[in-house]
Amino acid sequence: MSTNTGTTTLRLKTPPGFRVDAAALRPTTLASLSVAEIERIVLPGGNESCRVGEVFEVLRNADAPAQSPAETTLPATLDGNGNAAPTLVIDGAARWLDRLGAEMDGGRLVVRGPAGDYCGFRMSGGELRIDGDTGHFTGCEMRGGRLTVNGDSGDFVAGALTGDMEGMSGGTLTIRGNAGARLADRMRRGLVLVGGNAGAFAASRLVAGTVGVAGELGPHYAYGMRRGTLLLAHRPAHRLPPTFTNGGQGFDVFWSLLVRSLANEIAPFSQWRAQRLPVRYTGDLAVDGRGEILIAG
Amino acid sequence: MSDAPANQPDASATSAPAALAINGTAIDATFAEAFPMKATRLVITAHTPTWAMHAANSLAGFATSVIGCGCEAGIERTLAPDETPDGRPGVAVLLFAVSSKELAKQIGRRVGQCVLTCPSTAVFGGIDPATSRAPLSDRAPLGSGLRYFGDGWQIAKMLDTGNGPTRYWRVPVMDGEFVCEDTAATVKAVGGGNLLLLARDQDAALAAAEAAVAAMRRLPNVIMPFPGGIVRSGSKVGSRYAGASASTNDAFCPTLIGLSAHSELGAEVGCVLEIVIDGLTDADVGAAMTAGIGAACELGRATGVLRISAGNYGGKLGPYHFHLHALAAGLDGGHA
Repeated sequence: MSTNTGTTTLRLKTPPGFRVDAAALRPTTLASLSVAEIERIVLPGGNESCRVGEVFEVLRNADAPAQSPAETTLPATLDGNGNAAPTLVIDGAARWLDRLGAEMDGGRLVVRGPAGDYCGFRMSGGELRIDGDTGHFTGCEMRGGRLTVNGDSGDFVAGALTGDMEGMSGGTLTIRGNAGARLADRMRRGLVLVGGNAGAFAASRLVAGTVGVAGELGPHYAYGMRRGTLLLAHRPAHRLPPTFTNGGQGFDVFWSLLVRSLANEIAPFSQWRAQRLPVRYTGDLAVDGRGEILIAG
Repeated sequence: MSDAPANQPDASATSAPAALAINGTAIDATFAEAFPMKATRLVITAHTPTWAMHAANSLAGFATSVIGCGCEAGIERTLAPDETPDGRPGVAVLLFAVSSKELAKQIGRRVGQCVLTCPSTAVFGGIDPATSRAPLSDRAPLGSGLRYFGDGWQIAKMLDTGNGPTRYWRVPVMDGEFVCEDTAATVKAVGGGNLLLLARDQDAALAAAEAAVAAMRRLPNVIMPFPGGIVRSGSKVGSRYAGASASTNDAFCPTLIGLSAHSELGAEVGCVLEIVIDGLTDADVGAAMTAGIGAACELGRATGVLRISAGNYGGKLGPYHFHLHALAAGLDGGHA
């Protein structure tokens, strides 16, 4: 069956009354299915299940008029061959929708409204945008692609599942609002930016990668941080961990590369300039000690 | 590598008028023969243009010929801060070697000894796989080998500065950090394009060669690896001495006009200089040769530039043939 590179819209019709695992709603998968086939997809939810057609009205391309001026001006996402990537819009999403965009590997998924837990879980490619708050474990063990949350997120953003050794290992995750506790716990690679505040234990046990927080940090940030970079827009209210030490000077070249890599991200990170060096601290000396906290303010 | 014009047709070439002349300078009906090589571009940046140039000169030093230097290297051009990955002034250097393995070896040695050591420098791969017209080859280790100098203090960082996620190494050194890309893209390139400038005397030959090199240096993707871009010791394959794979190109030595049975020179020729051109593609080499022919012919016979020839091996060894008449076709007075 041919792949539809246009837009498929799932408009909320009737909430099922229980939490739903929405991992099956991947833009690339749905693009190759007809509307009738999409309506027959079964979404599990604990010991219950429902069909897509029972919960959503399924619309395709011209059947689904744009809901907002912003939607009509969404830039086209291109796949590796330069073709427009298929787009899936979930209209009227709610907190009972878990695992949205889980393991997605391409295309674009736009979620209008809040979402549940495990959004973007292990996603490896494509673009996931959520125009609302998300639950816990957003971007958990994410491997690639771009995930943007325009509201707040719960705990364990970009972290690892309990017992797993690695959190996020690639891609870019942006939370425009606040993030909960254990932000980027055990993260290994990639970029996480939080436009608001972060809860306790931000960047804890960080293996590597870059985490930026524009607002305030909870206590115990950078706990057990081995390598990687924690970017702060201003000096945190909680004192620096005692297991961090002065990071010295001479990192101008790295800073200029880092600033350039943030140029298209959210403020204030995009506004940083190469000429204005941050203050650097290194640690956590209780572990590897090659991590760094850069305070740009 | 310099070339040996071993197949000039016959003795009549020494005095027969050439079919093509521009501004009185004869263009021989021959061709330059060039060979496949592996190449890369490195972008060296530094705190000031001077220090970037120090590192580039050091890296590209003793790199005139693969015969004895392991690679051929040269400075392609200087780079403004807005052209470099870290926003500092830089220099683009091209390196050419006979194999991917040798190129990787030379990159490691030269960057390790000449760039890592140079104050304030950083080094990045300069081939963009997305836009390269030259066919891509392997990725050569850059920071992935040099990082061990950090003795465990080195840090890797994946950043997307506009060309996709790229891995960089930060190696602590006494002036701060040496930053370099993990690997550098390499390409299948072309080496050994050449021009032979035959002049009345050394003044005329040097003036023509210098003008030709200056014109070629204005073009991208090419280097002229010899000192000042010019070589006087053109070579031929083989020697009367066992063990010598190459020896002087007696056919173009003015002191051997009456001695060498293979002499290509008329009595009026007092000096011959060669320009060797390595380029990322055959089109780049051809464009540089055309620019060089044009610049030398602009001086013309009146200044003592008598003939322009090229070296080849009969077309049997190298797959790239640059016919001088075709290259000169677009120049004033030239025709294909």
